[in-house]
Amino acid sequence: MNWFTNTFGSSLGKKLMMAVTGLFFCVFLVLHLAGNLTIYMGKDVFNSYAEHLHSLGPLLTLAEWGLLIFAVIHISSGLLLFYQNFKARPERYAVNKRAGGRTLGSATMPYTGVILLLFVIYHLFNFHFVDKTHTTIFQIVSNAFAQPSYVLIYTFAMIIAAVHVSHGFWSAFQTLGANHPKYTPFLRGLSLVFSLIVGIGFGFIPVYVSLLV
Amino acid sequence: MQLDAKIPSGPLSDKWDKHRFELKLVNPANKRKYNIIVVGTGLAGGSAAASLAELGYYVKNFCVQDSPRRAHSIAAQGGINAAKNYQNDGDSIWRLFYDTIKGGDFRAREANVHRLAQVSNHIIDHCVAQGIPFAREYGGLLSNRSFGGAQVSRTFYARGQTGQQLLLGAYSALMRQVAAGLVTLFPRREMLDLVVINGQARGIVVRNMITGEIESHAADAVVMCTGGYANVFYLSTNAMASNVSATFRAYKKGAFFANPCYTQIHPTCIPVHGTYQSKLTLMSESLRNDGRVWVPKTPGDKRPPNQIPESERDYYLENKYPSFGNLVPRDVASRNAKAQCDLGKGVGETGFAVYLDFKDAIKRDGKDVIAQKYGNLFQMYEKITASNPYEAPMMIYPASHYVMGGLWVDYNLMSNLPGLFVMGEANFSDHGANRLGASALMQGLADGYFVIPYTIGGYLVGMDRPEVTTDHPAFKDAVHYVTERINKLLSINGKRTVDDIHRQLGHILWEYCGMSRSEEGLLKARKLIQELRGEFWENALVPGSSEDFNQSLERAGRVADFLEFAELLVIDAFERKESCGAHFNDAYQTEENEAKRDDENFCHVAAWEYKGDDTAPELHKEPLVFENVELTQRSYK
Amino acid sequence: MTKNIDITLKIWRQKNADVKGGFETYHASNISIDMSFLEMIDVVNEQLTLDGKDPIAFDHDCREGICGMCGAVVNGRAHGPEKGTTLCQLHMRHFSSGDTIVIEPWRAKAFPIIKDLAVDRSAFDQIIVAGGYISVNTGGAPDANAIPISQEIAEKAMDAAACIGCGACVASCPNASAMLFTGAKISQFALLPQGRPEAALRALAMVRKMDELCFGNCGNERECEVECPKEISISNIARMNREFFKAGLGSAVM
Ligand SMILES: Cc1cc2nc3c(=O)[nH]c(=O)nc-3n(C[C@H](O)[C@H](O)[C@H](O)COP(=O)(O)OP(=O)(O)OC[C@H]3O[C@@H](n4cnc5c(N)ncnc54)[C@H](O)[C@@H]3O)c2cc1C
Ligand code: HEM
Ligand code: SF4
Ligand code: FES
Repeated sequence: MNWFTNTFGSSLGKKLMMAVTGLFFCVFLVLHLAGNLTIYMGKDVFNSYAEHLHSLGPLLTLAEWGLLIFAVIHISSGLLLFYQNFKARPERYAVNKRAGGRTLGSATMPYTGVILLLFVIYHLFNFHFVDKTHTTIFQIVSNAFAQPSYVLIYTFAMIIAAVHVSHGFWSAFQTLGANHPKYTPFLRGLSLVFSLIVGIGFGFIPVYVSLLV
Repeated sequence: MQLDAKIPSGPLSDKWDKHRFELKLVNPANKRKYNIIVVGTGLAGGSAAASLAELGYYVKNFCVQDSPRRAHSIAAQGGINAAKNYQNDGDSIWRLFYDTIKGGDFRAREANVHRLAQVSNHIIDHCVAQGIPFAREYGGLLSNRSFGGAQVSRTFYARGQTGQQLLLGAYSALMRQVAAGLVTLFPRREMLDLVVINGQARGIVVRNMITGEIESHAADAVVMCTGGYANVFYLSTNAMASNVSATFRAYKKGAFFANPCYTQIHPTCIPVHGTYQSKLTLMSESLRNDGRVWVPKTPGDKRPPNQIPESERDYYLENKYPSFGNLVPRDVASRNAKAQCDLGKGVGETGFAVYLDFKDAIKRDGKDVIAQKYGNLFQMYEKITASNPYEAPMMIYPASHYVMGGLWVDYNLMSNLPGLFVMGEANFSDHGANRLGASALMQGLADGYFVIPYTIGGYLVGMDRPEVTTDHPAFKDAVHYVTERINKLLSINGKRTVDDIHRQLGHILWEYCGMSRSEEGLLKARKLIQELRGEFWENALVPGSSEDFNQSLERAGRVADFLEFAELLVIDAFERKESCGAHFNDAYQTEENEAKRDDENFCHVAAWEYKGDDTAPELHKEPLVFENVELTQRSYK
Repeated sequence: MTKNIDITLKIWRQKNADVKGGFETYHASNISIDMSFLEMIDVVNEQLTLDGKDPIAFDHDCREGICGMCGAVVNGRAHGPEKGTTLCQLHMRHFSSGDTIVIEPWRAKAFPIIKDLAVDRSAFDQIIVAGGYISVNTGGAPDANAIPISQEIAEKAMDAAACIGCGACVASCPNASAMLFTGAKISQFALLPQGRPEAALRALAMVRKMDELCFGNCGNERECEVECPKEISISNIARMNREFFKAGLGSAVM
């Protein structure tokens, strides 16, 4: 097992795990968004999407466990990297100036990450760990977003998610070694487009739902 | 004392083979028992330390920089010569040998130079195997460029960073031996004395430049590769830490200093622009492949270059030397630039500059081709001068750059002190009175990779040595001497900074012992140097303490040595009553103002022996015997 | 043509690694704009010396931008504000009269301060010792033209090999990571056929050594490639990653 811990325990190994799990989350976001967008087709379509999802049974449980494990990996490696990075420069600079490489997204990864973590927990308690026997998912959602504070928190969290993936998306490719003079600029652009889709796609749903009720 | 160069007998081409066969070998199992000190991690020192460790010797390697990778060799730009004849343009080992001997104005040893040409090809092979990314043609084979003093294209290069790449190659080989445990590195150590026991070099004393501690190291042999002393001129193209101290200390311990007056002034440097200036920047000689040198025809013409019509420009090198044109050797190009400026035709604010113009090359090959060849040099020029060479011609002026002189060594690269080997720019051996471009890198690597691994073995088994440790009184004496000197420097407490005094020394040498020399000028220089040295020890100001990272102290020690050494340089220049290569005495010139040798009386190496601080050094002559080339008046017409 | 400026300097002074440091303020007047940044410090040091004070310690040697010895963070930028420029090649014409310039040493755990602006970068040497070489002994090499290497590959290898080991990548990296430096060396040898036989071993050993030395981790922030005086590209970091993953997961090397 030595080679295994040597590889995955290294800086690059942790980065590899971050990238793979992060990209997996990006795929998850796309699927999740696709599902959520059904809300624009009315509450029945939305409810039936939810039912379909739940009818997957063990498959869904597997996906949920998968997400959880990946989350643990992503978060623990992320925090470990953050801690190591912090320790790598015990004395900070008096003057900090960006040279032009850093972006809002890249500079805030650990912070947006932690906010996302808090949000995900909050989100699960709102919509996942709730008793759904006497109500529909649409009901839960519209009840929640009837309160302006929920709308605010959700929209804010989605902006944060957008900021996180604006760097995370292309960064994961770079980490995996996919850097090419022809395609990297395209990936960087795509990263921004992706973050806009995430931000606007998810972010607008709470607003939309709050306007419905 | 008769100097014996130990040149093997037999035909020139067979000497090295024969000698290698005759040299005694060290039993592989015994190699680990030998400790070897290598001072310097440049091309010569780095390659030597690596190859000796590859053979199994235990090596201690010292340098003044924080890492061996930063030795001054890193700055070499243009390239490295080899007689590969990949271009099919008539090159051969013999031609490289001949060009180098002729370029040196017939003041180098035939046997050494021929060996250099012989091993040149192995250097390129080895460097490619090390992963040095030399420039290549589209087809994937190695590319060459031309350099001054040759009519064949034999120079291998890695952009404008050849020295860097070659040094990183040697450095990587060295680090591999560090990993193997056979080389121990001692960076940030300055050699301050050589320890000689029973007439044999047995160790060194160094200062740890971080803690100030004085350390002693004993060994079976000491290999000095400490580079050149061009910084004696204060302003030069050498790195700031380049010094004469190591070799000068060895000289004071009995090693002979050979030809100190052979100092090369490089024609293509960025001109001086202020008193605060700390160093001069070389623009690689390779630029003269495509750049055309000119000045206005009328003295005092202050128009901007673009407004001077073609008919009023004097392409003086092309006119005077039709067959070599802008590619004449360095000494010739430098002297001509000075001559033009002395006529009042110099350009720029100070009048001490000539143009190097790429207009025609850009017109012919396009900007892209020129950018590919010289892009980084152009960029560097623009950074320093804020002028764009693609649009306006460069301004250049000669600057002190390289020294051919150095410690005397025999064919084995061993000095007259047994056990002291000297290689690279620190020795005197291969370039005579003038070095051709791209041949210092070749020499450094030849010495380190392909000569010392053989010759050191011959010494180690050929000569008995008593067991010594650093407890030996000779080490104690050296430590005492070094400590005293440091304390003395720190206690002068005068009013002038060391740099200020060094600057003045530079002026004296540049004025009276630079591109051209005269007897009365040299006499004057000698007096001025003595006075300045007196002032240094009375009026220099060296701040700080000895037990600290004290860069002022480091500099003071080096300048103190330069002040003594400068006198030796001037004495040697005075005694050589001829002109040859870079040593140009006004009194000895041909009708065309070229250097006029006196082969009758000066066809020798001048090796100086230290006789005490208050006694004149003693001259020993090693006659130069030419059996294979005919001594001619150099002509590049 | 020549112009002089007056500036205020706030320079980090620290006696050695064991004591605390702090900023000192100096005024430098009549600084010619044609001076290099280091020549400007020389001038300040001359004055400090004459005033009986301790001159500022800073590393430098070639003053041509090639040895990699110099370096400091100037107003928050490694090697100062100019692109593709080492501190020694930075000229005072990029500053104006009245400017305050803050000068700090490279800051990283792996680069302890020796004195003032001079730091210990021997960690870089250790990374090279771990595997930054091709294992060939002197003497046995085949003819240099025996293996043709396409110009494109040779140029790419040269791009990576141009690194001067100055440490600006570490200094400018928000995480004090050495991956640009390490990636450049791994890339140079991974690209060339001569370097392939040891590629897996080299990638693993060098990355492990880099980790051991307490450098931070790359966050793909790209500050390094912008600040690198030799403009080494982060595509070299991507190549190092590929080499490392290939070696760690695909090769038999442990
Ligand atoms: C700007 C420039 C460009 C050049 N371009 C070319 C070129 O294109 N082609 C060419 O062939 N040649 C060129 N040369 C010449 C060539 O670079 C040098 O002659 C050659 O590199 C010298 O190598 P070396 O190993 O002898 O010494 P160096 O590289 O100078 O190494 C000296 C070593 O000795 C150490 N040292 C010095 N003093 C002490 C001491 N007291 N104690 C301990 N260690 C000490 C130093 O730390 C260093 O490691 C150029 C020179 C310059 C200045
Ligand atoms: C939907 C949720 C998330 C998505 C889509 C996501 C996606 C990504 C991606 C693609 C990366 C880039 C990996 C790389 O650079 O190779 C990344 C990095 C990162 N993520 Fe997330 N992530 C999410 C949630 C989180 C959470 C909850 C945290 C937690 C604390 C977090 C912390 C980080 C950190 C610190 C990094 C930077 C690591 C580094 O480069 O050093 N992320 N993320
Ligand atoms: S990669 Fe660039 S910044 Fe880093 S050490 Fe090399 S040259 Fe300096
Ligand atoms: S002093 Fe050599 S790179 Fe700046």
